[in-house]
Amino acid sequence: MSLTIAIPKGRLGEQAISMFKAAGIGESIDEKSRKLIFEDKNKNMKFMLLKNSDVITYVENGVADIGISGKDMIMENNSDIYELYKMNIGKCKLSVAGIKGKKIFMDDTILKVATKFPEISKKYFDSKGQKIRIIKLNGSIELAPILGLSDVIVDIVETGNTLKANGLEVLEDMYDVSAIVISNRISYKFKRKEIKEIIELLSKEDEKND
Amino acid sequence: MNFLKIEDEINFSQKLFLLKREIENFLCEEGYLNIEPSILEEYDEFTDVYSKIDKKKTVKLVDNSSEILILSPDITTGIVNRLMNRWEENLKIKLFYYGKTYAHSGIEIKEKRQMGVELIGEKNENTDENVLNTAIKVLNKYSKNYLFEIGNSKFLKGLMQSCSFKKEDYDNILKLIYFKSKQELKEYLSKLQYKEAMSTLLNIFDLEGSFDEIKKELEGLYMNDLMKEGIEELSRVDKYFKNITDKITYDLTLVSELSYYDGIIFRGYIEGSNKEIIKGGRYDSFTEQYGIKIPAIGFSIEIDELVKTLYKEEII
Repeated sequence: MSLTIAIPKGRLGEQAISMFKAAGIGESIDEKSRKLIFEDKNKNMKFMLLKNSDVITYVENGVADIGISGKDMIMENNSDIYELYKMNIGKCKLSVAGIKGKKIFMDDTILKVATKFPEISKKYFDSKGQKIRIIKLNGSIELAPILGLSDVIVDIVETGNTLKANGLEVLEDMYDVSAIVISNRISYKFKRKEIKEIIELLSKEDEKND
Repeated sequence: MNFLKIEDEINFSQKLFLLKREIENFLCEEGYLNIEPSILEEYDEFTDVYSKIDKKKTVKLVDNSSEILILSPDITTGIVNRLMNRWEENLKIKLFYYGKTYAHSGIEIKEKRQMGVELIGEKNENTDENVLNTAIKVLNKYSKNYLFEIGNSKFLKGLMQSCSFKKEDYDNILKLIYFKSKQELKEYLSKLQYKEAMSTLLNIFDLEGSFDEIKKELEGLYMNDLMKEGIEELSRVDKYFKNITDKITYDLTLVSELSYYDGIIFRGYIEGSNKEIIKGGRYDSFTEQYGIKIPAIGFSIEIDELVKTLYKEEII
C-alpha cells in the first residue's frame, strides 16, 4: 500500500530528510529543486514538502498518512491524530520570556502575553491561575515587550541567543519540544505495518546519532 | 452539503435516499424494527443521563414555559431514555432508526445524518456476534476494502484500576494512550511509584493487530480478572469471525471515556474515507443508571460520510 509522508520545509525538514536518506528511503527527494512532491516508486512512497504549520492539517485530513511536526504545533492545534514517535531532532523549549531584570510575572493584574501560540499560552497560564490577555503575533515576537506591546512573550527557545540579543531573558520554561512523527488515525489502521516499519527505521537512526 | 447546480443537488439527494432505503431494507431483513427518534430533548434530563457529553456543544432552545430543550446530540441516549423509564421485565427489542443529530462545531451548527441499531434486553451466547455481523455486512456491502476494528474497554479499565492512579494522572495517562504517545507514556510512568500492572501498560501499544498477535504479546504480562474477562470476550468474537472475514483487527487501547460504551467496542472504516463509518459497542452500564441492569448493544452508521465516500468514487 502506498504511503504519503508530509515533511516540513526549513531546518527541521532538512534534518528529517537526511535521516530518511540515511535510513535508505526518500532518495528521490531533491531539496534544491522547486518541486514539492517527490515519488519513490520502488518503495511505493510519496513525499510532500509543506509549510511547517500545514503538516498537521494535511495529516489530520488524510491527504498525507504520516508527517513530521513540532510538538509545539501539535499542542497548539489540538488535533485528532496519533503522536507515534518522538524524534531526537527539533529539540527546544517553549518558554515565557520578558525584559531582563523587570519583575512582572505572577501579578494580580492582567498579564499581556505576545505569542504565536495563543492556545498553549491560554492553557498554561490558566493552570497557573494567572489572568492574561493574548496578543497574537506572527513573527519577531521578541520585539513586543521591548516596544511595550506586551509584558511577556511565549515562544520557542533554542539557544536563547535571540532573546539575549534583544535584552530579554527566560522567566520560566513551560514545555520540552521536539519533532514528532504523527499519523492520521484511519491511515494508521489500514497501513499499520508500513508506518511501524518507518518508525523502526527512524528510531534506529536516532540511536546511531545519540 | 452545498451544491452550485440544482441538478447535482437532486442527484445527490436521490443517492442519499436510495442508500438510506437500501440499508433500512437490509436491517428489516435482519429482524430489526423501526423506531423514530425524537429531535427535541429536555436539556436537564438528557445531560443528566449522558453526563459525559460536551454540554457546550449542545444546541439549546427555550419553550414558552422557559424550559430549556436541546436538538438531539445523540440518538441512542434519546431512545434509551424514552424506553427505560417504562421498561418491562424480560422485554427484548431489536430496533433500528434513522435520524439527525445536532452539535455546535465552533463556527456553525452541524447537522449529521445517522442510522443505527440497538439491541436491548437480550444477551445470550451469540448476541454480540450477531450485532457485529450486521455491522460488518453493512460495511462489506459498500466496500471490499473495509476494516473492522474491535476492542474491549474492560481490559483498559481493569488495567487502570490495578494501577490505582490519582485522578490527574489517570486522565493524563488516558490522553497519552489516546494519542498513542509511546515514549511520553513511558516517561510519565517512570515518574510515578512502580506497580506491577504498569508493566502491561508500558506494552499497551503492542496490543493491536490480529487476535493471535495480541495473545502472543499478552504472554507473561500482568492481568487481573476484569482484563481476562475482556480478553475472553474478544476470544469468542475472534473464533466466530475467523472463517467469515479476514478484515478484522483488534486494538486494546480503544479509549471509550467520552462515550457510554463499556465492554466490547467496535469501529468500521472504509478505504477512501477519513472518518469512522460505523461506531458501536456494549452499553450495559448505561442502562444500569435506571436502576435495573439491562444488557444493551448497538451501533451507528455515519450516513453523510458513507454517501460522500461512495459519491466521490463515482465522479472520479
